[in-house]
Amino acid sequence: MAVDEAIFRECIRGGRGPTLRFYGWRAPTLSLGHFQDLEREVDAGACERLGIGIIRRPTGGKAVLHDQELTYAVIAGASSPLFPPSILETYRIISRCIAAGLAALGIETALTGAGRQEAGDRLRASCFSFPSRHELTAAGRKICGAAQVRSQGAFLQHGALLMGFDPRLTCEIILPHRKGEEQLDRLRRSVTTVGEQAGREIDAETLSGHLREGFEAVLGVRFEAGGLTAAEERLKEQLMANKYGADRWNREGRNMEWISAL
Amino acid sequence: MYSREHIWVRVDGDLATIGITDYAQEKLGEVLSLELPEADAYVERDEPFGSIESAKAVIELISPVSGVVISVNEDITDDIGIVNSDPHDTGWMIVVEMDDLSELDDLLDTRSYQDYLIQEAEVD
Repeated sequence: MAVDEAIFRECIRGGRGPTLRFYGWRAPTLSLGHFQDLEREVDAGACERLGIGIIRRPTGGKAVLHDQELTYAVIAGASSPLFPPSILETYRIISRCIAAGLAALGIETALTGAGRQEAGDRLRASCFSFPSRHELTAAGRKICGAAQVRSQGAFLQHGALLMGFDPRLTCEIILPHRKGEEQLDRLRRSVTTVGEQAGREIDAETLSGHLREGFEAVLGVRFEAGGLTAAEERLKEQLMANKYGADRWNREGRNMEWISAL
Repeated sequence: MYSREHIWVRVDGDLATIGITDYAQEKLGEVLSLELPEADAYVERDEPFGSIESAKAVIELISPVSGVVISVNEDITDDIGIVNSDPHDTGWMIVVEMDDLSELDDLLDTRSYQDYLIQEAEVD
């Protein structure tokens, strides 16, 4: 998260072109959406008992359990010709990139058209429990969730592709706890994984390779492998120490003190 | 007056009342959450003073002026729907005591802001 935000902040300052990142998680971690209320949405006691860390994303949306998944981040500035200024158009183009990558694995996907978070949906705290606008489904089940933060024309979009899914674990940590089997069934029916749809196990390297090719084909560009600049590295360290490593942000979601210190 | 980041500014002496424009609220759709600075916080021109979440994304609110926040609209944190229903009046967000009135020179008047919106719609 700190790396993604460091790149995003440098992008706002004009110091960097569009970036595509893929990463996994060393240990199961729950991420809250920027504005989610920890006490209301997550069983923090269960997380502690199960050894699941809790962090808060800079992007919006609902809680996500990052376990067996490939996470992507797309970051671009206002001047990038690759992405339009429209929020929904950006979701749509990135969805097309992901869809192209999954198609190479034999997975057919569809873009959902329904609105995200209609009134009744706000009760559903898990990001993967329902498909939202311009997100991808395979066989009618959500395969890739996404969320954005934007500032001064730049954006950071996070998304996650499940490589494995444990609905029981999700139900144990995300509130509200409903009638067990009913909730599990709903999750099983509404969520799918890359391996399940491909009909074989797909490792993260293979998946990220195909996704990268999907982005390159749809956007008409070639990505070059690279690391953080010195400025991004410094910012990442600051973000890790003062924001993503701090309860003020992870637990309470207060961002302004950090922002004003930038 | 308006900023290119879709923030309106109403000036009274060295006090600037700030909120998001009707265009911004319409583009965002239903506002779900809002984070604003606390009174006495310092905000800086062209830097975020808060953020807002709609069904589509989290958007950072960019301050058009620098200065100390002397008042925050608590009513909109209690009833966030006001940001959508009345963004230019009761949906105001913060009042800033400005450091430098010349920062206002970079803002757009109503007509220039309307022209700017037309340009934005063309590239969108």
